[in-house]
Amino acid sequence: MIPHRLQKLFRVFDGPNTSELAQHPAPFGLPRLPASAMPTSTAKMVCGFCSTGCGLTVHLQDSKPVGLSPTTEYPVNLGMACPKGWEALSVLNSSDRATTPLLRNDRGRLEPVEWSTAVQTFAQRWRKICDQHGPESMAWLGTGQIAVEELAFLGALGKFGMGMLHGDGNTRQCMATSVVAYKQSFGFDAPPYTYGDFEESDVIVLVGANPCIAHPILWERVMRNPHQPKIIVVDPRRTETAMSAHLHLALKPKSDLILFYGIANILFARGWIDEEFLNDHTRGATEFRQHVSTYTPDMVSRETGLPIEAIEQFARLIHAGTRVSFWWTMGINQSYEGVRAAQSLINLALMTGNIGRPGTGANSITGQCNAMGSRLFSNTTSLMGGREFTNPEHRQHVASLLNIPVERIPDRNSFSYHEILKAILEGRIKGLWVVATNPAHSWINQDQAKDILSRLEFLVVQDMYSNTETAQLADLVLPAAAWGEKEGTFINSERRISAIRQVATAPGQALSDFRIFQLIANACGAGPMFHEWTSPAAVFQILKKLSAGQPCDFTGIEDFEHLERAGGIQWPYSSEFHDQLTRAEASASASDSDSCADSLRVQERRLFEDGVFYHDDGKARLLFEASRPMPEPPTDEYPFILLTGRGTAAQWHTQTRTAKSAVLRKLAPTSVYAEINPNDARRIGIHSQQKVVVASRRASVTVTAFVTPAVAPGQLFLPMHYPEVNRLTDAVFDPYSKQPSYKACAVRLGLP
Amino acid sequence: MVLPALSTSTEQVSLPSLVEELLREQHTMTAVEQFSQTIRERQRPTQSKYYQALLPANPPGPGEQYAFEVNLDRCSGCKACVTACHALNGLDEQETWRDVGLLVGGTTSLPVIQHVTAACHHCIEPACMDVCPTLAYEKSSQTGIVKHLDDQCFGCQYCILACPYEVPKYHASKGIVRKCDMCSDRLAAGEAPACVQACPHEAIRISVVSQADVAADCEATNFLPGAPDPQITLPTTTYKSSHVFPRNMLPADYLVVRIEEAHPPLILMLVLTQLSVGGFFCNAWMFSGDATPGLNVIRNWQTLTSVGLGFLALAASTMHLGRPHLAWRAVLGLRTSWLSREIVTFGLFAASAAAYSTGTLFWSEGLLANEYFWQSVRAGVLATGLAGVLCSVMIYYRTHRPTWGGTRTLFRFIGTTIWLGLAVTVFAGMFATLVQSDVELETVMQELVAHLGRPLMICAFVKLAYEASDLLHLLDRHQSPLKRLALLMTGELGGIAIARFALGLLGGIILPWSLLTACSDSHVKWVATVSTMFLMSLVGELLERTLFFMTAVAPRMPGAVRT
Repeated sequence: MIPHRLQKLFRVFDGPNTSELAQHPAPFGLPRLPASAMPTSTAKMVCGFCSTGCGLTVHLQDSKPVGLSPTTEYPVNLGMACPKGWEALSVLNSSDRATTPLLRNDRGRLEPVEWSTAVQTFAQRWRKICDQHGPESMAWLGTGQIAVEELAFLGALGKFGMGMLHGDGNTRQCMATSVVAYKQSFGFDAPPYTYGDFEESDVIVLVGANPCIAHPILWERVMRNPHQPKIIVVDPRRTETAMSAHLHLALKPKSDLILFYGIANILFARGWIDEEFLNDHTRGATEFRQHVSTYTPDMVSRETGLPIEAIEQFARLIHAGTRVSFWWTMGINQSYEGVRAAQSLINLALMTGNIGRPGTGANSITGQCNAMGSRLFSNTTSLMGGREFTNPEHRQHVASLLNIPVERIPDRNSFSYHEILKAILEGRIKGLWVVATNPAHSWINQDQAKDILSRLEFLVVQDMYSNTETAQLADLVLPAAAWGEKEGTFINSERRISAIRQVATAPGQALSDFRIFQLIANACGAGPMFHEWTSPAAVFQILKKLSAGQPCDFTGIEDFEHLERAGGIQWPYSSEFHDQLTRAEASASASDSDSCADSLRVQERRLFEDGVFYHDDGKARLLFEASRPMPEPPTDEYPFILLTGRGTAAQWHTQTRTAKSAVLRKLAPTSVYAEINPNDARRIGIHSQQKVVVASRRASVTVTAFVTPAVAPGQLFLPMHYPEVNRLTDAVFDPYSKQPSYKACAVRLGLP
Repeated sequence: MVLPALSTSTEQVSLPSLVEELLREQHTMTAVEQFSQTIRERQRPTQSKYYQALLPANPPGPGEQYAFEVNLDRCSGCKACVTACHALNGLDEQETWRDVGLLVGGTTSLPVIQHVTAACHHCIEPACMDVCPTLAYEKSSQTGIVKHLDDQCFGCQYCILACPYEVPKYHASKGIVRKCDMCSDRLAAGEAPACVQACPHEAIRISVVSQADVAADCEATNFLPGAPDPQITLPTTTYKSSHVFPRNMLPADYLVVRIEEAHPPLILMLVLTQLSVGGFFCNAWMFSGDATPGLNVIRNWQTLTSVGLGFLALAASTMHLGRPHLAWRAVLGLRTSWLSREIVTFGLFAASAAAYSTGTLFWSEGLLANEYFWQSVRAGVLATGLAGVLCSVMIYYRTHRPTWGGTRTLFRFIGTTIWLGLAVTVFAGMFATLVQSDVELETVMQELVAHLGRPLMICAFVKLAYEASDLLHLLDRHQSPLKRLALLMTGELGGIAIARFALGLLGGIILPWSLLTACSDSHVKWVATVSTMFLMSLVGELLERTLFFMTAVAPRMPGAVRT
C-alpha cells in the first residue's frame, strides 16, 4: 500500500524520547550510559546491606549521585552486585525518612522538635532514670548496620561516658553463635577464611546456608571455582543452592549436630583424619572421638531421616577432597544448640586438617554489613578490640589507651539482648536506646517483645526512617543519616575493612549516627571524655591503637584512602606487616618479579596458615556436647515444624530499607506467604494463592499458601521479612551465645 | 561500682552551637572532591574482561541474528539482571524491562525449582511489530534486534496486548511504550548488554542464532516449560539446562488469576462504534420498502443519534492514545496492522455517515431525486461500518489470547451491533415523537416496538446466554485461560458480572417484553420505559466490554511467587 521509501519519510527515528535512553560512551571505565546519568566523577565505597561487603562505584554528576555500578577491581564482588546493592541509593530517597527529631507529646503523638530539645530531653530522662533506678536501668540495643567508628562511639559513650552496664546489638540475632564458637575453639572470634577459598576448594560444604538468595555474590565466587568442586548442601529445604548441589542432605530440622557428630564418627572409625594436625594443633581429640562413637550411622540415619548411604557418601566426599571448606550461616547460628553445631563443623575441619590452607576452613558467613565491626568494637559482649570486661589487665589497657579512668570501664559483662528484654519486663531496665535496628519486627516471639518495649519509661529510637515498627513505639525518635550520607568503615565476613563515603546529603535535620553520639555525649556531660572523637577518621586512628597486639591488629592501615587504594584490607594487618610488605613490594618492582601475585596475596589472606591458634598454648579446642531434642517438637495439636529464612535477594531483614525501592518491591511478594508441601496441601485441601492460617502457641497469622515440594512434608517455610512471622517463633536461646532459635518451632496449618 | 563524677556541662561546648555546627558539617559535601575520582580517561569499560567471553566472536551472517542465551543451571534467582537493566539504562523509578520467574515441579523426594530470567525475545515474527499501527517497531536486518522507535510511538499500547511475553511497557507520563533493545548501542560498540554484564553467575550471554533453527525449535515447541506457545512469534531466546525438567513443572504464579487493564476509552469506543453501525443498519431498514409515515418522521432523528454517538466513539478512541496529536500516524501501518485498518475504516465510516446524515437532513427532496446516488452512499456507510466492526474483531483476535478468540469476539461485537442498533432506534424514535408534535407517540412507538422488540429480545437472550456459558468453564479441571476468566467473573469481578447480567436482562429482555405486551397510553410511561431500556442495554454492554478487557487473561512468561 504505502511504499517502503514513503513510509520512511513518516517514521521518526530520533527525538527527545529516543535520545533520553541513548547510551553514550562513559568515562572512568564505566559501561555506556544515558546522558542524564553521565558521571563527572565517581566515588568508591562498600555496600551497606549484607556482610559480603561488595565494592560499589557511585556515579556523581557535579557531586550529586546519579547512579552506581559494582566496582570491577574490588576483590570481593568482581564488578557484580545483588539487587539490593544496585538499588542502594534509591532507598535513601523516601518520604518515610526521619528528617527531624520527634518527641511524644502529652497527647501521645510524636511531634517534631529541635535537636537541642531532643538531646536535652534524652539527657534529662536518662539522668532521671539513672538517679531513680541506678546505672543499670538504662540500656541500648545497637546494630551491625552502622560504621565501626559509630559503633565504637556508641559503645564507649554508653558504657564509659554514661555509665550504662547493658548494651547489645542485633548481631545477637545473627552472629553471636559464631562469635562464641570461634572464641571457644580458636581463642578469638576469627573467621579464618577469605572469599578466594570459595574458588580454591574441591569440596564445598554449605550448611544452613542459601547463598543463592542470601549472599548472591558469594555464590558468584562458588560459580567461578575452576576445580569443578563437589558441592554438598545440608538444609531441610530444597533451596536454589541445594538445586546446584552434588549432594543435598535434606535432613530433619535441628538434627544437624547429630549428623556432624555421625560424620566425625565415620571419619574417626575409617581413619580418615589428619592425626598429625590433631596432635600438633588441637586439644580434646581423644575425648571428642569418645563422644562421637555413639553417633553410629544407624542412629544418625534414624535421627536425621537421611539414608545411611547419603551419610556415608558425605563422609567419603570429605575424605576424598584435598581442599574441603565448611560454610554456614543462620541454619546453624539461629539454633538452641548453635554454638555446638558450629563447633561440630569446626571440629570436622580441624580433624581433617582442612584449615589454614587455600580452599579450606570452618567458615561462618556473617549477616550484616558491619556485623564484624560490631563484634570487635561495639563494646557490648566484649571490651573494645575483642577483650574481656572481666579481665582487669584488659580494662587497664583500654583505659590507658583511651585516656579515661579505669573505674569507668564496667568489670562485668553486659546482659545479652534477651536478658535486657527480661530486665525490662522485671522493671530493672526502664530506659532503652535502640540504634538502627527494628526489634518490634525482628525479635523472636514478637507480640511479647512489643509488649515488653511498651513497658519502658523511655524508649529512644535512632533510625533513618521514622516509621519502623519500633519507631512507632518510641518516646523519642532521632533522625539518622544513612549509608551514603556519612563516612566510616565496615568490616565484612572475611575480615575486610573498607571505607564508606558521603556521596549524598542527608534529608532535613538528619545527622550521622556519629554526630548524634557527639551531641548526646555533650548533653550528658561526657563531652570532654570524647574530645578526641571528632570525626570517623579520627576515631579510626583510636581504634587502630585499640587493635594493636590483638589478633585483629590493623595498625598497618594508614587511613581511609589507604583502604580505598588497597581495595579493602583484611585484618590482621599490623604495622610490622605493612612495613615488611612495603619493602617486599619495593624490591619486587625493582627486580620486576612477581609483584602482581604479591599484591593479590595482600588482597586475599586467610588465618592459621601456621597452624597456630589464639589460645595461649596455640592449639585449637575440639568442643562438643550431647545433642538435645528441639525445644518445641511437633505435637498432635501443632503438627508442623515452622522454618524461617530469607525469601528473596531483593529483601533485606525487616524491609525498612528495601521496601523503599519501587524496583525491589516488584521483585518480592508483597505480603507474607507460606511454602507448603503438596502432600500436606492435598490432605488439608489447600491450593496455591489461597489464604491459610498458621498458628503457633504464641499467635495465629493469615498467610498466602504457596504449594511446593521444595519444603518437606510436615514442614512450613515462612520468609522472615514480613512482620507476621516472628509473632509465631518461640523465644528459646542457645545457652552460650544467647542467640534466638528462629529456625524451628511447632505450628499448625489450617483454613481460615 | 562507683563512677567518678562526670564533668559539668559548663566545660563543654554549648548545645545549640554544637547542633548548628554538626548540621552544617552534615550538609557540607566538600569531602566528595577529596576522594572522588575525576580524571576522565577514555578507556575500555573495565568490566569487559569478565563479559568478553559472553559475547559472540562474530556478528550475525545472513539468516542469523543476535539472541539472548540463558544457562538455567546458572540462573539462581538473584534478580541482579533486573536491577542492573533498570539502573544502567536510566529507566523510570517503577520501570523494569527484564523479569525473573520461577518454575516449580518434581516430587517430594526430588523437588525441582528453577528461576528463569527473561526480557524481550527479539522474535523472528514480532507480534509487537506486526500489530503496530505507526510502524514504531523495527527489526534490524543485520542484528535481528527488535527496536522500538520511542519518538514514532503514539501510545496505543496495542503491542502490549499482542506480545505474549509482556515485554513492551507503557510509560504513562510520556504516553509511549518502551522496551528492551538488547542494549543495541552497547552491543554495537562491543559492550555487553546491562543484564549480561551484571549477572554474577554469567547465566546470560548473547549468541548468534540461525533463524531457521529457531523456527524449527519453535515448531517442536522447545522453548521453556510454562511459557506461552512459541509459534505465535518465534522467540529467539535459548534456554539451556543440563537438567531434564519433570513433566509437572509449572510457574510459581500459575494459579494467580490476574485482572487485566480495563482501557475505558476502548470500551467506550468499541460499544459506541458498534451501536452506531447497528443504528445505521436499522436506519437502512427504515428507509427501505414501504415505510409508514410514522417511521418517516423519526428516521432523521435516528440518523442523527447514530452518527452523533459514532463521532463520540471516535473521540473516545483518541483518549486512549498516549499522544493523541499523533493519531494521523495510524495510517502508516495499514499494510500489517488491524488497528490501522480499524482506524481508517471507521474514519471512512464516519465521513460517509456524516455526508449521508447531512444529505438526508437537509436535502431530503434531493435525496429522493437522486435515489441511486444516496443508496450508494448508504451502502458505503453500511459497508465501512461493518468492515470497521470486523476490523475491531480482528484486532483482538490477532492477540492470540484465548479469551479473545475469533468466534468469541465476533459474537460479542456483532451481538452488540444488533442489540444496541435496535435499542438506539427505539430510543431515537421515542425522542423524535416527543419533540415532533405532528405524530402520535403511542402509534409510532407501538409500530416500532412491534417491528424491533422481538429481534431485540432474541438478540439479547442469545448474547447473554452465550456470555453466561463462559461460567461452565468453572467445571474445567485444567486451569485454562477460560477457567481463569470464569474464576474472575465469579470472584473479584463478580460485582461487575452481576451488574452486567442484571442490566442486560432488564434492558434487553424484560423491558422490551413489557413494551410489547403492556399497551400504555401514558407518555411518561413510554418515555421512562424506553429510556431505561436503552440506558440499561447500553450500560450493560459497556460492562460486558469492561469484563471483556478485564478478564482477557494474558499469556505470560513464568512468574515468581505472588501474593
